[in-house]
Amino acid sequence: MKTKLLIVGGGPAGLSGAIAAAESGVDVLVVDEGLELGGQLVKQTHKFFGHQGFFASKRGVEIAKILKNRIEELGVKYMLQTTLVGFYEDTAVAYSREEDKTYEIDYDYVLLATGASEKFLVFKNNMLPGVYGAGAVQTLMNQYGVLPGEDFLIIGAGNIGLIVAYQIAQAGGNVRAIVEISDKVGGYEVHANKIRRMGIPILLRHTIIKAIGKDRVKGAVIAKVDENFKVIEGTEREIVADTICLAVGLQPSIELASQLGVEMVYIPELGGHVPKRDENMRTSKRNIFVAGDLSGIEEATSAMAEGYIAGYTIAQDITGKDLSEKINKYKEELADLRRGPFGKKVRSGLEKMGIVLPSGGYRTDLQKDFGPAGKLRAVMECHQNIPCNPCEAVCPTNAINMGGNINGIPHINYDKCVGCMMCVMKCPGLAIFMVQEFDEYSVVGIPYEFEPLPNVGDKVILMDRNGEDVGEGVIQRVIKNRKDKTHVVYVAMEKGLERTVRHFRVPSDEEDEIVCRCEEVTKRDVEKAIDMGFTDFEELRRYLRIGMGPCGGRTCRLITMGILARKTGKSMEEISNMNLRPPSIPISFGSILRGEKE
Amino acid sequence: MDRRIKSHPILEFEGEETVTFYFEGTPLRAKPSDTIASALIANGIDIFGWTEKGRARGFFCAIGKCSSCLVVVNGTPNIRACITKVKEGMKVERQIGRGMPLWEEKQ
Repeated sequence: MKTKLLIVGGGPAGLSGAIAAAESGVDVLVVDEGLELGGQLVKQTHKFFGHQGFFASKRGVEIAKILKNRIEELGVKYMLQTTLVGFYEDTAVAYSREEDKTYEIDYDYVLLATGASEKFLVFKNNMLPGVYGAGAVQTLMNQYGVLPGEDFLIIGAGNIGLIVAYQIAQAGGNVRAIVEISDKVGGYEVHANKIRRMGIPILLRHTIIKAIGKDRVKGAVIAKVDENFKVIEGTEREIVADTICLAVGLQPSIELASQLGVEMVYIPELGGHVPKRDENMRTSKRNIFVAGDLSGIEEATSAMAEGYIAGYTIAQDITGKDLSEKINKYKEELADLRRGPFGKKVRSGLEKMGIVLPSGGYRTDLQKDFGPAGKLRAVMECHQNIPCNPCEAVCPTNAINMGGNINGIPHINYDKCVGCMMCVMKCPGLAIFMVQEFDEYSVVGIPYEFEPLPNVGDKVILMDRNGEDVGEGVIQRVIKNRKDKTHVVYVAMEKGLERTVRHFRVPSDEEDEIVCRCEEVTKRDVEKAIDMGFTDFEELRRYLRIGMGPCGGRTCRLITMGILARKTGKSMEEISNMNLRPPSIPISFGSILRGEKE
Repeated sequence: MDRRIKSHPILEFEGEETVTFYFEGTPLRAKPSDTIASALIANGIDIFGWTEKGRARGFFCAIGKCSSCLVVVNGTPNIRACITKVKEGMKVERQIGRGMPLWEEKQ
């Protein structure tokens, strides 16, 4: 097999490189191990941050489709289920799993976009089935629709840990906690906020000590650590979980780069050993390029930009055309993606290779103004300098602006905001809410991506930013967003709560507190009946059937009287005891018919 | 045990469980889109094999990088369950240790 450009890896970096090169007239062959093109994009169900013109606010799965379609349109050749196993002096060898045979591939140029693999973590029983990479769980649930457990513990509060935790909840799993060894969340605050408002604890300065179980995970022991990350004795505690997801970072997949003999450097900020390369993604060897996580752990948007830069540079070499305009456009894109505080690590890593990138130059001050009370308006809770601007781009009245740079904190001009909620549906961080105060009550519009959607009129439990219950509300409106799937649910609540409520949950049967076991009457049922005016045991009994089951009131009588006493302010003596009638246990009619009177 | 996601707010999972394969001799159902790993886990099977020292071994990375999910497929050991599609009639066994090499010519 012969190709001008051999691309190893069909993820965001590799496919972008293939598109750039093929568009410029270069013959390309993409080799990928996976079952489909797209790399890890095929499991990314969250909306991407970034520049509106460059896939921002699109979910990874959609981006994978767009890239794949473009590859097909351009007629790029690709081999799936095929692993590039070796680079030899004169040729490359690929192994096809389906055919169980190898292919020799002759090439002029190589773009390595081999990505990264998940780091493992050392703790007791860490090899038990049920200890999985967080990305592995994401693959299983989002690509194959299989959830490997019910109760999950996540290790690591970087963006992957936070995103996977959220996606497990979307798939119907329980996330028991996220454990993070450092004293702060490593990922974006907006991702952490989505987790916190659901009531999932993020335990900072905690670590996992061991997995519990014999042949598979049944739980975990976690503990607090001190400032030197040493476990503080006596703080160990058990967590019930059947799946432990390790989200402790990624390491570049450097095997092929090493085989090719390109110069490698050890730069911890980029994920460890990485190939040395220039601004155009060219390694120490003229015809070998790298892009994506292999060249430094980052994320898919920068991987795509790097892929384009590499692809156009290779095309420029091969065809002799001047493609510097396109190359520079993506360089600017990359510089902007890395300009903010979250780009600092990558910036300092690249500086060690002699690549200096700009920083700063964006707005950092937060908007203090909550907007004019009474007006239906958007409230932005985006407090970090993240390179992201879909809210600004989508706003039809130009009410939202980032202050001139994509990394700026968004501000909203309340004179211009018309309450259209387009920004709420677009925001990748789900960090924009709608608010309106009325005379008697207030309403909050919450971005919602869970099933099932509540119905208008449903009573829900209101939750604050930390997931604490703060009262009850009623669903007022449900705005379905069929295209983007971020729906907006309006909840009516007591006035004043609009500043605290950021999530809600539908009370489930599992949370019911039962008073009467026979008739399944809950404490809530009893309290509601008392509020309606039933203040006597006999009345309650006729209304709720409490005490009329087979046990004859043995279980519920005292508890019900206690609730009555508390709610009515009467003492137990003042409350009439229930009338206890025969039979004291259920007996059959037959036994009575056969009965003897004497 | 069925661990398939029934409804999802963002994704739609297509396909029915029309494939039958055998795990340690027991017939199991899978979707045509399944890998061996996703089909096993959907069926509640988490132990894919045993190490030489007798430890239970499951999958870890799900994308073909870690080689933790090696199983024996139709007699051939060291098949990565996470990136190998399940097929009708496929015979999958738990791998013990490094697996036994196949000396015979395959039929």
